[in-house]
Amino acid sequence: MAKPTTSSGVQRSTATAPGVHPRPFWSVRPQTDRQSGDAIVSNFLLHWFPAKTCKPSMNWTYSFWLGTMSAALLLLLVLSGGPLLFLYVPSVERAYASIKDIEFAVTFGSWIRSVHRMAAHLMVAAVFLHLVRVFLTGAYKNGIGQGQRREWNWLIGVAMLLLTLLLSFTGYLLPWDQLAYWAVTVGTNIASSIPVIGPTVRELLLGGRAIDQPTLIRFYVLHVIVLPGALGGLFLYHMWRVRKDGGLAKADSVALLGDRIETAPVKTKTYTLLGVARGTAPTVRASTIEAPDLTVNSVPDLTRRIAIVVLGTIALLSLFAVYVRSPLEEAANALVTPNPAKAPWYFLWLQEIVTDTTVRIGSFTINGAFIGGVVLPGLLVTLLTVWPWIDKSPLAAAGVWFPRTRRAQNTAFLAIVGIVIVFTLIGTFCRGPYWNLYWPWQAWPEIPTRL
Amino acid sequence: MEQRTTSPYPRLDKPVLAVVGLVLVLGAVLFTINDREHEWRYYQYQFRRVVADKLGAEKARTVPSGLQQIWVPSLGHADRCVTCHQAVAWNGFEAAEEPYRTHSAEPLKNHPIEKFGCSSCHGGQGWAVDVGPAHGPVEHWEEPLLGRQLGTEYSLVDNKAALMQMNCNTCHRYDRETKSADFINLAKAIVNARGCRACHVINSRGGTIGPDLTFVGDKAPEQYEYGRLSGQKTAFAWHVAHLKDPRALVADTVMPNFNLTTKEAQALAILILSWRKSPVPAAMVPGTPRTDPQTADERAAEEAMKAGPGAWFVKTGCFVCHSIAALGVKSPAQIGPDLSTAVDDVQSRFGRTVDDFLASPTGTMSVVLSRQIVLTPAEKAIAVQKLREAFAEYQKQKAAVKTVAARSH
Repeated sequence: MAKPTTSSGVQRSTATAPGVHPRPFWSVRPQTDRQSGDAIVSNFLLHWFPAKTCKPSMNWTYSFWLGTMSAALLLLLVLSGGPLLFLYVPSVERAYASIKDIEFAVTFGSWIRSVHRMAAHLMVAAVFLHLVRVFLTGAYKNGIGQGQRREWNWLIGVAMLLLTLLLSFTGYLLPWDQLAYWAVTVGTNIASSIPVIGPTVRELLLGGRAIDQPTLIRFYVLHVIVLPGALGGLFLYHMWRVRKDGGLAKADSVALLGDRIETAPVKTKTYTLLGVARGTAPTVRASTIEAPDLTVNSVPDLTRRIAIVVLGTIALLSLFAVYVRSPLEEAANALVTPNPAKAPWYFLWLQEIVTDTTVRIGSFTINGAFIGGVVLPGLLVTLLTVWPWIDKSPLAAAGVWFPRTRRAQNTAFLAIVGIVIVFTLIGTFCRGPYWNLYWPWQAWPEIPTRL
Repeated sequence: MEQRTTSPYPRLDKPVLAVVGLVLVLGAVLFTINDREHEWRYYQYQFRRVVADKLGAEKARTVPSGLQQIWVPSLGHADRCVTCHQAVAWNGFEAAEEPYRTHSAEPLKNHPIEKFGCSSCHGGQGWAVDVGPAHGPVEHWEEPLLGRQLGTEYSLVDNKAALMQMNCNTCHRYDRETKSADFINLAKAIVNARGCRACHVINSRGGTIGPDLTFVGDKAPEQYEYGRLSGQKTAFAWHVAHLKDPRALVADTVMPNFNLTTKEAQALAILILSWRKSPVPAAMVPGTPRTDPQTADERAAEEAMKAGPGAWFVKTGCFVCHSIAALGVKSPAQIGPDLSTAVDDVQSRFGRTVDDFLASPTGTMSVVLSRQIVLTPAEKAIAVQKLREAFAEYQKQKAAVKTVAARSH
């Protein structure tokens, strides 16, 4: 081992100083437990992880790693959005042409756009499924740690889901084709069904009374600056809270349910386990959760799994993007309404409910847009927001799939999720011209063309 | 030495990560190959060989490679057709097969490629660089190539390439007759002979019994009633069938059956679909006056000045910038000083006589007199004489005004 001498001639071993190692990449391939711990504090990219991770929290089948997957998709969206920022022109006259250029003339352009679009769609799905998982495992419940505020992290999560939907929706308009124009028409018309303030809300969204240049620049700035900034900020806070809350709820359930074998207090404590001090005194008493067979070194066991999920997501998506091309319809035309005009797929369950709650009695029409577009989603978001405070199930129900004590609420939640999914599927695959029902294998009437 | 605690983890993680790495590499290779693979690479390679065979290797090296396009800013078109159709501007490939054929010279005389591009006449998707999306018909691009192939599908009579005339008429809309646009000319003749304007407004003139046809070409294809139309469900097919027998498609129509032949109906359908609100740059529209003519008043004023005492200054062109108020000459621009007092003025400004100044002018006048109004020494002498006359006239008028003023006191 090299032993550099200082100018005064004093020999200093580089290996003895904590956090300093002569070997490159030692922090991702630690040789000892000590190095493994050092890696967390001395490596910028790793320092937000705990030194040791609760092993059951890392089970593939507990969290399905949906949160990590969402974060990977966000990363991919930022990476693929970068080049698109240089290529896309947010002007009514040139937006469509710039997408045509990206599709046909830019090196890797079509692939980058495909990656961006698919990652956006998948992110909506991944974030939604992440929320479903957290609800079903009651992971917003606080456990045994000090200062846990999991219900607030749930709230941040709900806000992030809404931001994800808005990001996807604002991105939808940018190509300025028929699909974009009319999906945004449908979406913003729903907003205008709010009593009294509806038309004003719509005008605020559009920057006018019709979708035009003011709308495009609004959606563009929201899409590339405001919403990603907000989502990025909330993401950091979300991760910080996970650390402050002592990791996943699974860790608490392990500590609660396991036989707590008290071990002798250790004299010194190099790292706070899982980032939180358990108990009230600074003298930490280790319990089973810290036993070697229940925890693993975060480096490399946690980091390797994170690499698998993040790189795996990127790998599969970049592969799919080669074969699934992004559609680009005719240039936006305010005079020609495509039939059917559909909202983005993640709003189709709402569009479906809007249709089904529109009742015609004689010449009298009850417009469903208010019920399906405002009341129902508003109610659902409100319920999601307050649910951690309503849920009075015992502590033991947290961090476990389908506990008996939460059977009723889980069933009700799954029923709502089921309805949303079924309505989305109907809207996506079974609605044809004039919003008539067609089976997926049934052919739609032939769409005429000019020539 | 201290060891790391053996991980209690399934040993599967490492191979899984390795597989993920392999998929990443595979993905990178696949999307790179996918991005590189284009038909135009083959066509460019072939064209270089064709040129080498015909004109020698030296010439072949000048064939450009890579994506080529004609960018027409006034139309917002980027036509990448020339990426494959490289022979368009090469002489000597008139008889070759597409895409290596020279463009026929006649239409290009008045429609240079760099000003008009390709797709403004031929249709098709200029943005695209692959055979399918460029020529169409392809989903979500309503302007397929208006070529022989599409004409054959519609069984056009006599001239299978006539569909392209639809685009001729975008600019030639108000022409009675357009050179070599036989179908359009036939259709326009029918419109006049059969009196379509009795019922329809066409180009803002006509009756109101039928719908206004001025921009009927913009009508969305979905907005026609296809219930009784068999065969192709397109706006063009609808119009052909409707023109031949209106009542067969629209039961309660009052439009009579004109017993048109198939060719006549096809020609009319081409004309009708050409009636669109295409924004065309003024410079491309034939017959548009390119000048901004003077009004009758302006012309009369100029004629009067030419007949008056300051005629010489008007004919020579001095009056473009200078008024000569004393001689009744009023400059429309009045950029320079009034020349009535030039004799005096030049002396006080430049310290030189007018003769001297005109002989070797400085400043703006040196530019004007060397480029725009070039005077011979003899003409300069006339100029000096005229300026003196103007000054004399000026002094006379001034004295007259003074006398009038004195009298009124």
